[in-house]
Amino acid sequence: MIPLSEDRLRVILAWVVIVLVGGPVAGAVLLGVLYGDSPCILCWAERTCMILIALCGLFVIRYGPKPRYLGVVILLGVWGVYMALRHSALHLARDVGQGFSAPILGVHTYMWALVIYAIALAVIGALLLFLKQIAPAEGMREPTRAGRFAVGLFIVVVAANALQAFASTGPPPFFGQGDPVRLSWNPRHWVWSFEELEPYHISLRGSWTIPRPDPGSADPDPAHGPLAALPTLAVSGWERIGAPLNGAVSGFARDSATGRFLVTTDRYGVYVLDSTLTRVLHHVVMDKGFSVDLSPLAGAAFVGRDTLAVLSTNKSWALLTPVPRADDRAEWRHFLETDGQMSEVGLGRFQTVRAHLMYALAFAFDKAEQELITVSAPNPRHHQLIVSRFARRDMTLSSEFEPRLTPGLTLPAAGRGPADYLVTGAAVANHLLFAISAAYSTLLVVDLKARTLAAVCTVPGLSHPVGLAIRGQDLLLAQADGRVAVLRFR
Amino acid sequence: MEFLNFLLILWAAWLIWRRPERERLAFRLLVIACFLMALCFFIGSHGSIVPGVNL
Repeated sequence: MIPLSEDRLRVILAWVVIVLVGGPVAGAVLLGVLYGDSPCILCWAERTCMILIALCGLFVIRYGPKPRYLGVVILLGVWGVYMALRHSALHLARDVGQGFSAPILGVHTYMWALVIYAIALAVIGALLLFLKQIAPAEGMREPTRAGRFAVGLFIVVVAANALQAFASTGPPPFFGQGDPVRLSWNPRHWVWSFEELEPYHISLRGSWTIPRPDPGSADPDPAHGPLAALPTLAVSGWERIGAPLNGAVSGFARDSATGRFLVTTDRYGVYVLDSTLTRVLHHVVMDKGFSVDLSPLAGAAFVGRDTLAVLSTNKSWALLTPVPRADDRAEWRHFLETDGQMSEVGLGRFQTVRAHLMYALAFAFDKAEQELITVSAPNPRHHQLIVSRFARRDMTLSSEFEPRLTPGLTLPAAGRGPADYLVTGAAVANHLLFAISAAYSTLLVVDLKARTLAAVCTVPGLSHPVGLAIRGQDLLLAQADGRVAVLRFR
Repeated sequence: MEFLNFLLILWAAWLIWRRPERERLAFRLLVIACFLMALCFFIGSHGSIVPGVNL
């Protein structure tokens, strides 16, 4: 290994500063001057961080490699990587070509920042690797020719940045902006603002802080619901899931062709039961930790003749099919427990647009349209009741809508609406989506053609309903405790 | 605030070049500029420290 003397280190660092300041930092100013490109507030911080890394280089050139300079420059490198990742995360998941501002060589500036910080850290590591030792401070030294050029270039480029910052962000106490206008030297076009200080949801994850829905704590009292003067539908009888399950019921469906039931539990159990709900025909326990993340199972549906679909609260799905004899070795990776007669045929995630960042607790299959349907669970950040439809053919979003109220339905107070309901079970018949809400024990009937709430009625006496199925003229509402309310609905 | 930060950085660079005996003040300016830069980024990200993606 070739040892690196301190003198040589200072010369190399001078060139590093020249490249860093004369390359990306000066280039960014030129982008502004030539093309009007203005950095956003996050870009400003990233550019400033690069300048501070270069400033640390000047400290070393002048005073030698003191540990505190090295400490600061490594911290700046790590912080820069974090900033670039945090900034890029705002845009990485958008559609093709939808980055922020203009790209350079096909890559946007926030991604270039990540590359530059990674290179800076790599250069620091390499220099430390080859440095003989971090000698005791020898005191200040006159910079070499390269060092003097580095200092001069640094001051010129930072002064240019200061000018651009004055025009683009203003003097203190003004801040940079999230969505700046193009750079202009005409003061009439300068925008100096505090818009970034406006109140926001401040938390570790910002808008991604979505509480998980908790239907068990929903208010079941129909009198407190958002719609006034609703008719009441009385429970005509009670049945019970008599088959042994491994946990509380979380999803419920019925196959009209065979009379079989499909039940999911809060412990990832999937059960096919006979028409009397007393005998287990097939069962598995899903492996939630494998592949696609299955948050607790929340819904079930029969899809076609031999295919079962289950939904988890995060809108991940799994397709299963009963088989006479499953391949043990192939299915071991899918199931923690199995009766040996079930096979997994698909696993994936539903992508939503209107229901983005919302969990779902209800799942149904529209046989006529060959579409799977989820109903969103409103949350404090996204207070909407969204019906999302997915083509069975490719499990991809077909349409989404917010059911409108029909004229006969009235809201008792401003600020109330269908989004106050928490739909936990659903089933489809005759282009109608029957949905049961654990909040306010209310049955919603959504006309899938007209996209309206065709009928709404309260069902007193329910406690934590989790699933809905149709049996002839009856609606069957399954509760978490395994009891099933029978409603005669016309 | 970005403008102010660049002035602090310029001041530190000037001290390194023309008043090298004032190293302590220059280093303090460096540290202040680091904190101001981090504060601006935190304000710009609206307090959401973790990126908006699945963790």
